[in-house]
Amino acid sequence: MEKTIRIKRFDPESKNPQAYHQEFKVEVEESSSVLDALITIRESIDESLAVRCSCRGAICGSCGLRVNGQGTLACKTKINSLRGSNGTITVEPMGNMAVVKDLVTDMRPFWEKIRQVTPWLQTTGDAPTAEYLAPPDAMTHLNPVMGCIMCGVCVSDCTALEVDPTFVGPAALAKAYRFVADPRDAATNQRLRDLDEPTGMWDCTRCMVCVEVCPKGVAPMDRIMALRSKGMNSGLTDTYGARHSMGFIEVVRDKGILDEVMLTIKTLGLFNISRFMGLLPVAIRSLLHGKLPKPGPFHKPLPGMHNIRRIVDTTEKMK
Amino acid sequence: MKYAFYPGCVSKGACPELYQSVMAVYPKLGITLEELTEAACTGAGCLQEKDQLLGDTLNARTLAMAEHKGLPIMTICSTCQGVFAQANKRLNDDPDYLAEINKMLAPEGLKYKGTTVVKHFLWVLLEDLEEKAWKDKIVKPLKTLRAAPFYGCYLQRPSEALGFDEHPERQTSLEQVIAATGAEVVDFAGKDRCCGLPILTINEPNSMAMVHKHTTDAKTLGADVMVTPCPLCHLNLDGLQHTAASRHNTTIDMPILHFPQLLGLAMGLDSKSLGLKRNIMSPKAALEKVGVAL
Amino acid sequence: MQHDVLIVGAGLAGMRAAYEANAEGANVALITKVYPVRSHSNAAQGGINAALTDRGDAWEEHAFETVKGSDYLGDQDSITLLSQDAGPEIIALENMGVIFSRNDDGRLGTRRFGGQKKARTFFVSDFTGQAILHVLFEQILKTNIPTYNEWFVTSLVIEDGQCYGVVAMEMETGNVQFIQAKSVIIAAGGLGRVYEPSTNALICTGDGMGLAYQAGAPLMDMEMVQYHPTTLKANGLLISEAVRGEGGHLYNSKGERFMEKYAPNMLELASRDVVSRSEQTEINEGRGINGCVHLDCRHLGEKFIKERLSQVWEEAHTFSNVDMTKEPLPIRPGMHYQMGGVKTDNNGRCWDIGGGGWGGVRGLFAAGEAACVSVHGGNRLGANSLLDTVVYGKRSGLAASAFAKGTPSKDIPSSIISKDDNMIKSLLSRKDNKDSVAAIRLEMGTMMNEHLAVYRDQKGMETALTKIRSLRERWKEVPVRNKGRIFNTTLINAMELGFMLDCAEAIIVGALFRKESRGAHVRLDFPERDDENWLKHILTYQQPGADPKIETLAVRMTQWEPKPRVY
Repeated sequence: MEKTIRIKRFDPESKNPQAYHQEFKVEVEESSSVLDALITIRESIDESLAVRCSCRGAICGSCGLRVNGQGTLACKTKINSLRGSNGTITVEPMGNMAVVKDLVTDMRPFWEKIRQVTPWLQTTGDAPTAEYLAPPDAMTHLNPVMGCIMCGVCVSDCTALEVDPTFVGPAALAKAYRFVADPRDAATNQRLRDLDEPTGMWDCTRCMVCVEVCPKGVAPMDRIMALRSKGMNSGLTDTYGARHSMGFIEVVRDKGILDEVMLTIKTLGLFNISRFMGLLPVAIRSLLHGKLPKPGPFHKPLPGMHNIRRIVDTTEKMK
Repeated sequence: MKYAFYPGCVSKGACPELYQSVMAVYPKLGITLEELTEAACTGAGCLQEKDQLLGDTLNARTLAMAEHKGLPIMTICSTCQGVFAQANKRLNDDPDYLAEINKMLAPEGLKYKGTTVVKHFLWVLLEDLEEKAWKDKIVKPLKTLRAAPFYGCYLQRPSEALGFDEHPERQTSLEQVIAATGAEVVDFAGKDRCCGLPILTINEPNSMAMVHKHTTDAKTLGADVMVTPCPLCHLNLDGLQHTAASRHNTTIDMPILHFPQLLGLAMGLDSKSLGLKRNIMSPKAALEKVGVAL
Repeated sequence: MQHDVLIVGAGLAGMRAAYEANAEGANVALITKVYPVRSHSNAAQGGINAALTDRGDAWEEHAFETVKGSDYLGDQDSITLLSQDAGPEIIALENMGVIFSRNDDGRLGTRRFGGQKKARTFFVSDFTGQAILHVLFEQILKTNIPTYNEWFVTSLVIEDGQCYGVVAMEMETGNVQFIQAKSVIIAAGGLGRVYEPSTNALICTGDGMGLAYQAGAPLMDMEMVQYHPTTLKANGLLISEAVRGEGGHLYNSKGERFMEKYAPNMLELASRDVVSRSEQTEINEGRGINGCVHLDCRHLGEKFIKERLSQVWEEAHTFSNVDMTKEPLPIRPGMHYQMGGVKTDNNGRCWDIGGGGWGGVRGLFAAGEAACVSVHGGNRLGANSLLDTVVYGKRSGLAASAFAKGTPSKDIPSSIISKDDNMIKSLLSRKDNKDSVAAIRLEMGTMMNEHLAVYRDQKGMETALTKIRSLRERWKEVPVRNKGRIFNTTLINAMELGFMLDCAEAIIVGALFRKESRGAHVRLDFPERDDENWLKHILTYQQPGADPKIETLAVRMTQWEPKPRVY
C-alpha cells in the first residue's frame, strides 16, 4: 500500500538553513514499521535523509523520533497501528534537543545528564569473590528499569524539560533509581541527597508523558515517585516537594478532603513571608471572585472521618 | 442513567464555579446524580508519592461505596478520573493486593469486588447518553467562538489504565464536545501537556513558565477561550495566569472555561448560573462574541 | 589526539578491553561509529556460559562441548582459556553491577543452551547482552575513558608493518582526522549485513575485519558463517535460543517434533548448525509452513514466558503479531554470526610472535566477533559469544597496554589523512549513473544468502565469486547523491559497503577452498568431514591488485581427539 510520510527536514549546510516539512509517497508492506518506510525513502527516493538506526528490533535505542507528535522508536512503530490524520504520517526529530540534521538530534546533553546521577554501582569494602546473595525478587524488580535503552524518547517529550532544560530528566532519574534500589549499592543516602537538590527528583510534574511514550516499559515517572518516597522515608523531608506530599496526607487525615489553604501553609511553612507575599495577589483575586477556599478551622471535615483516619493510621503502621 | 457523583475536592473548594455549572447542566441531560458525601480525596497522585497503598485503599473505599449502591461513578475532574482509573487497574490486576486492602475496609462493612466503572462527565456524554439526548439540548451553538482544548494529564495518560484501546474516542473526547457546542476547535500541541499545578509550590518558575507557554500558544493560534475538564489545570491556568504573565512581563488575558461552562452556554444557560463571574480571567469579551452577557 | 591504546568499537569486547587497559594505567580511548550502548552486543539475549565447580560443573566439560560444537576446528588451548576464565569473569561482571537472574536460594541462576548437557548459561532475563553492555558503559563513565562517539574509521595507519592509529571521520562534521595510538584493538563486531536477511543490526558491516584485512592482517575461517535456527520471517530478527533453552519445541507442518529424527538426545538443544540444517531440510522437503517451522512454547505457561522471556514475547508480538503464550511462532534459519575474523593469538595479537607461520600487523589487536582466536571454530555454541567478548576483550586490553608501554612514540605527519580525505572527496564527486549503494548491498546480501547459506556447492559458490567481483566493479563507480558533509549516512554506507565486499570475497574464497563439510560449512558436493586433509584453519590475505592469497594453519590440539559428532 502507498503511504504519505511527511518528514520535518533540516539541512544545516543549505544556503538558508531552516526547518521545513517534506512529503514522500512510499510503498510499504502491511507489517512495515515507520523505520522501514524511512529506510525505503533514504534508499530509493532521497539519499540525503538523515536518521539514526541500527538494530531494527527496539533494543539499540538509535531511532528515537516523533511520529504524529509523539515520541517513539521508529522501528517499533508499525505503520498500520497509527490512528487518524487522514493517512499521512508525520515524522519529526525528538523534542527538547537541538537538531543536527533532519531526524538526527544532538544527544550530548542527554549523556551529560546520565553522567550527573553517578550512574555506576558504588560498593564498599573488597570486591566479593562470589556472587551477592539476594532473594530473586530483591533483584528482578530492577529488570524493567534495567530494560532502559537510553533512546531519549522520554526526554524528548518531557513536559518539565520543555520549560526548564536544567531538569535532570526522566531517563537519568530512572537510571538513578536503578542504583538506589540495588541492594548492593552503598551510596543510597548520598544519591537521595543529591536527587533532593533543585533540578532533581522534585522537578518532575507527574504528567506521565514518559510512562506513556517509553518504548521499553521503564515507566520513568513511577521510578521518580519511588525515589521521592525513598527520600522522604530516609528523612529527606525539608523540601517543598516533601512537605507538600506529607502535608497532603496530614490534610487528608484531618479533613478527608483537600484543604488548599492548609496544604499551602504546610508546604511553604507558616513563616515563609516572601512566598506568601507572592501568593497574596492570587488570594485577593480569589476573594474578589467569591471563591477563596475556606481556611483551616472553617473547612469542615467529611462525615465519617473516623474511617478515613483509621485507614491513614493503619497504612502508616504497616510501614 | 444514575451515577454516584464524585465532585472532587477542588470543585467544592477553590473552583466552586465548576460544581455550580455541573449542577446547572446535568438536569437537562436526563441523568441523576447521587453525591458520595463521605468519599475521601483521591490523593491526586500526590499523596501516592509518599504512600501508594494509602491512596489505593482510600480509593478502593470510594469504589466500594459506589459498588454497594450498584452505581457507576461520574467524576468532573481529570485528575480524580485518572487516579481512580489507575487505582482500579492495580486493584483488578492483583487479587492479593485487593484482598489486603479489603481487610482495611472491613471495619466499615465495605468490600470492593472490582466492578465499579468510573467515568468523567465528558465520557458520560459520549459513551452513555444517546447522542440526541445531549446534542438536541444545544440550542445556542457557539458559532464564531474559537476554543482551545486543554485536557489535563490524567485524562490522557496512562492510556492503558484509561481504556483508550477499547475506547479510542476518549482520546479526543474534549474536541468532540467542543465541536458539538458549535465552537471551533483550536488544535494546539499543548492540549495534553502539564498545566504546572503539581509543581506550583515546588518550582514556581517552571510552573509559571508552563502557564505562560500554554496560554500564549493558545492565544497566538487565535483562541478566544481555553476549555478544560480538569479543575486543577483551571486553578493554575486561570488562577495563576496573572502571576505567570507578570513573571514574563506580558499580558495574556486568556479566559479559561470549565468544560461544563462551555456546554451550559451552548445549552442557552446564562453566565450567572454557570458561575462565569467566578473565573479569574474574565471571559467577558469571548461571551460577547456569542451574544452572552457576563 | 594521541593515545596509548585506541579501541575501534565500543561493544562488549571493546569496552571490556578499555576497562582492563585503563586499569593497567594506559591512556585509552574508544572510537565508535554509534554510541557505546547502541552496539550490537545489545542483541545477545540468552546469556553467557560458565562452568562453575561449586555447582558440580567443570571447565573441561564446557571446553569439550565447545570443541565438539566447533566441529573440532576451534583451537583447544584457546578454548581452555575461555572456559577457565569464565567463572571469574561472571563474578567480575556481577561486581561491576550486572544483575544476573537468581534462583530461589539467592544464588545466580542458569539455563540450558544448545550443544551443552548442563545448565551453565548465566543470564539477565532475556536481555543479557544489553544488561552487560550498559554496565560496562557505566564503568567507562566511571573511569572517565574518552569515547569518540559517531566517528567512522576509514583506515588503519601502518608504518613499516606496524599500526600507529587510525584515520577517522567525525560524522557530525565530516572532518577527517588522524588519531594516533601505540596499539589499536579492533573490536568492531560482525558482518551480518553482508547477508540479506540477517539477524544483525544495520551497523554490522564488517568494518573492523575490512580495516585489518586492508592493512595486511589475515582473516581466518571466514567460510564459517552461522545460521541461527530461530529468526523471524518478516525482518530476519533473532529469537533467542533461550526459548528452546527454557523448553520451547520445534514442529513441522505435520505436527512432528522433527528434531527427534536429527538429534535424538539433545533434540532442540543440539548445536546451532545441526538445528538450522534440520529445519532447512524439513522446509526443503515440503514439511515447512510458508517457508518456516513452528517454535512452540505454549506449554511453558504465560507467567513463565512473561518473566523469563519478556523481550522475546514482546518482539514476537510487535514484529510477527504472535502471542507466544497462545500460538506457535513461525521461524526459520537466518544468518547470525561470523565465526571467522581477524586472526589473533591468545592475547589478541594480530601478528605472530611464536613462529607459528602466519603474517600480520604489529601493534594491531582484535577481540570479539571481529576476531578469530579461534574459540568457535566451525560453529559457535549459544552463549559463548558474550563469553568470548569479555574473556578475550580483557586479554587483548592487557596485551595492548603492555605493548604500548614498550613502544616509543613515533612522529607521523597529520598529512597522513590525505589519502582518506581524497577518497571521500572522490566518493562525493562521482557522477550519477543510476546505481546506488543500497542496490549493490541488497544484491550482495541476497546472493550470499542464496549461495553461502546452510547448504553450499561448488557451482553456487563460483557464481557468487563472479558476482561479488562484478559488484565490486560497480562499487568503484557508485554515486553518493548526498553531497553534504554533516551526518551523511549514504557516504558512510558507501564506505561500509567497501568493507563488506572484501569480507564477502573472503567468505567465498575460503568456502571454495575448504573441500569438506565441517560445522556451519556444509557442501553438498563434499558432504563429509575430512579430518585427514582439512583439520586446519584457512587464512586469507588481501593482495593489492590480485586475488586473495590463501594459507592454512594447523588446529592447535590439546586433549580432545576428533570424534564423530552426534547430538
